[in-house]
Amino acid sequence: MSAKLPQPPKWADWLLEFFCAPHLLEEIQGDLYERFQRQVQLFGLRSARQQYVWAVLSFLKPFALKRKPNPYPNTSLFHPAMLQNQFKIAWRNLWNHKATAAINLLGLTLGISACLVLGVVIHFELSFDRFHPDQERIYRVVGQAKFGKEGAFNPIGFVPRAVPAALREELVDLEVVATFHNMESAVVVPRAGQDAKTFPSRNMDKDPAQIVLAEQEYFDIFSYEWLAGDPSSALSEPYRVVLTEPKARLYFGEGDLKSFLGRELVYRDSIRATLSGIIKPWAQHTDLGFTDFISAASIRASFLKQEINLDEWTDIWSASQVFVKRSKASDEAKLNAQLKSFSQRHFGPKAGTGDFVVNLQLQPISDLHFNRAYMDNYSRKAHLPTLYGLTGVALFILIIAAINFINLSTAQATRRSREVGMRKVLGSSRGSLIGQFMSETLILTSLSMVLALLVANPILHSLRSFIPAGVHFTLFNPTVMLYLLGITLLTVFLAGFYPAVILSAYRPALVLKGATALAGSSRSYLRKGLIVFQFTVSLIFIIGTLMVGRQLNYMRNKDLGFSADQVIMINTKHDDKSSVLAEKVRQIAGVKQVAMQWSAPLSEWYSLTNLKYKREEEKEVEVSGKMGDANFIPLYQLKLVAGRNYRPSDTLTELVINQSLVKSMGFKKDAEALGQLLNLNGRDYPVVGVVADFHENSLQAPIRPTFIAYIPSMSKNLGVKLNTAGQTMGEGKVVLDKIQKAWLAVYPDDKFEYTFLDDAIANLYRGEQKISTLVNTAAAIAILISCLGLLGLATFTAEQRTKEIGVRKVLGASISSIVLLLSRDFVQLVFLAIVIASPLAWWATQLWLKNFAYRVNLEWWVFALAGVMALGIALLTVSFQSLKAAIRNPVESLKSE
Amino acid sequence: MRRTYLGEFEEIVLLTVAVLGEGAYGVSITNELDEQSGRSVSLSAVHAALHRLEEKGMLSSYLGDATAERGGRRKRLFSVTALGSQTLHEIRSVRERLWSSIPPNSLPSIAFEL
Repeated sequence: MSAKLPQPPKWADWLLEFFCAPHLLEEIQGDLYERFQRQVQLFGLRSARQQYVWAVLSFLKPFALKRKPNPYPNTSLFHPAMLQNQFKIAWRNLWNHKATAAINLLGLTLGISACLVLGVVIHFELSFDRFHPDQERIYRVVGQAKFGKEGAFNPIGFVPRAVPAALREELVDLEVVATFHNMESAVVVPRAGQDAKTFPSRNMDKDPAQIVLAEQEYFDIFSYEWLAGDPSSALSEPYRVVLTEPKARLYFGEGDLKSFLGRELVYRDSIRATLSGIIKPWAQHTDLGFTDFISAASIRASFLKQEINLDEWTDIWSASQVFVKRSKASDEAKLNAQLKSFSQRHFGPKAGTGDFVVNLQLQPISDLHFNRAYMDNYSRKAHLPTLYGLTGVALFILIIAAINFINLSTAQATRRSREVGMRKVLGSSRGSLIGQFMSETLILTSLSMVLALLVANPILHSLRSFIPAGVHFTLFNPTVMLYLLGITLLTVFLAGFYPAVILSAYRPALVLKGATALAGSSRSYLRKGLIVFQFTVSLIFIIGTLMVGRQLNYMRNKDLGFSADQVIMINTKHDDKSSVLAEKVRQIAGVKQVAMQWSAPLSEWYSLTNLKYKREEEKEVEVSGKMGDANFIPLYQLKLVAGRNYRPSDTLTELVINQSLVKSMGFKKDAEALGQLLNLNGRDYPVVGVVADFHENSLQAPIRPTFIAYIPSMSKNLGVKLNTAGQTMGEGKVVLDKIQKAWLAVYPDDKFEYTFLDDAIANLYRGEQKISTLVNTAAAIAILISCLGLLGLATFTAEQRTKEIGVRKVLGASISSIVLLLSRDFVQLVFLAIVIASPLAWWATQLWLKNFAYRVNLEWWVFALAGVMALGIALLTVSFQSLKAAIRNPVESLKSE
Repeated sequence: MRRTYLGEFEEIVLLTVAVLGEGAYGVSITNELDEQSGRSVSLSAVHAALHRLEEKGMLSSYLGDATAERGGRRKRLFSVTALGSQTLHEIRSVRERLWSSIPPNSLPSIAFEL
């Protein structure tokens, strides 16, 4: 029969084959076909096809669905004997190929460790303030604030101090409103019959915030376990204090906690507070880790009322925080709407706050740890982009390691083809073979996991500069266990599944006859593709390393427009005694110059204000102000390009401006600006000099229009230029000791602290320094794993071609030609990787560099250098094996057959 | 021993297998039923009945030839077993006993159109 018969719908056939029991399928499908052919003749193709579908569907009956039981006993894959066998075979395989196993083990360990460490960090960051009862009803009141008519709205994490009382009054949907004010203070503990004990205030750089002036309501929002005292009234009166248990122990030592109640603590020299409660600190992670809660009622009762004006509507202070708990009946959107109308009622010219406007909003407490827009004095913000970056890096490392595993196992597949053939002949199904190979991967992965667990804590320790304090790794925790299981299974799947499928696909008849090679071309493409992928990732990391390094170098060495050499900065107490100190320091031999100032030309802090000036019409510009006396400009060697420095004086009389300000005023030449009047805070001051632009912040920020002037009330800190050129460290120390003596003469009770300006500048680039270290580490690990993989493959190829190389040598091939022969393939792959990686790396680094107003260019040679490095490393790895194969005596390789 | 119960449809299918002799398989049985009883029978119902009858031991089967119109698939050919035959005979004798004991004229008379 030659004519092709009409065919029923494919999908109906497919459906039938899917649901019909295999032992019935042939007869049923045959009958259906026969009937279909008859119906085509009777009713035509269309109708026959329709009837066919119905007929198939009508076979959805129990008898057709029911599978025939297998008459032969089937040993389960999970039978103890089978498991034992699998482990034995797996172990033998690993043992017989120690090099491959070691490479895989090392690679997987690196990948898993990276994931493990990162998981710990992310879990840590995500766990902040997630444990409070009624969590979803707790918010912080934040807002968008605007100063002045022209200004823009900026997010703030705090609100005017008069707001909470009004909120309590007007918004019924707020169940609780609680404020607290951060405070820094030394604590004095008077002791009966002994000298009082003093505890210095915290180190602002290291320790979290400890002391707050909190309202009683604070404990209605945040619940603690009370070890002593009355939770409902502990803070309701002035001069009361609640401590956490460790703090109470620190102040009062051992003893019954309840017996401490009623004892006295002195804050800020004069606030004598009575201990009214002791609470147990939260065991979970929190940003609200305060330890000393002084009753907020103390504010109005003490000198603090001058410092903390609770009726103030027109200014904001980051120390003053408001938390609220909404009632169950309300919701966030409704409350935000109410806050909006509240803001409209209380802010603006009509409400008496002038141009100062705040639009209040709610911030869920879970957002506190991540949102950098709303700053405050106590929370440590997690940097999400860094976390995402870390995740990417860790995943890539794990993938690269999995690729090694895939490459090495598929390359060695031929070695195991006979085993697979034999197993199949003896009745093994493909599924159980896959299970067997996967279990080998599982053994290796588990070993890696154990190793990774061993190194996790040392790694966390060595990375502590990246990782927030408080991150620990503990194994015995359900979440951690689950995560570990997850990583293990993911790795087993990533690495083991493809090789298992390939290995189990051998056809027993073929392999046992001796044909070992499969249709291998497609697999070798995949292998090559994977190598290209590995090297692409490595190259991107290499290029990243080079570019980040270059940018860092550029930032460190760029001419900032002023001299930071041998300058130390001393923060004083902002009183009149600071000028006495300045005079004393000036007398010291080895001190070249002393300037009274607010801050150095470049610092983390800067002050912005508005300047008005009149040419044709009045204009207003936002400028940055640098406050310092007449010594400021000479000390920092700012370049005067026109005019002169301002004269020494006791008040603000003259201004010096920078070239950017000249430009924004609309002058072409610097000299034209001289003599112009600028209006600052309602008064006109003449411009007497112009300095060249200098950087006042990290190079991420552009240079702003800036003025320099002597405002005595804001110039109370000291900038000291030392004259220690050509002197030894010891001599410099002597000068510093003398300065300290001068300090103690003026401020006998305070500690002398100073910073070198160049250290402070270097500190600005901490973040970039971290990124640099991170990229370097990632690059090193990626290259290491990729090379391990390449080494494994090269070893394998050389081994496979032993006979070929022997014959070639006998026929007169030189060593170099053989090395070339063996290395050429790999070099081609690395070339391909360079081509793919370059544009990707270009794009990524470009994105990063956009953060900097002043940055290095992307040069082609960076890419070339990275390529050469990758090529060099790859060649070095491969040629070692190639050379070993090439110098082998052909007699050895050919004599045994 | 109680004989195995046979449903009406099963009985007819079993009879049809006997009628068709050597060539009884799914399609031929269905076609024969169509022609003989005049009622439309679905292939799946016939298969289900054959399956049950085989399980009850009244039919035996083997795989026969493949044909092109079947897409190269073999057909399963059925034949009645001794148990099947005995069951059919028993049913028949019961029916005949009953027929013979119907008093004359107790059934309303009907006209046959042939």
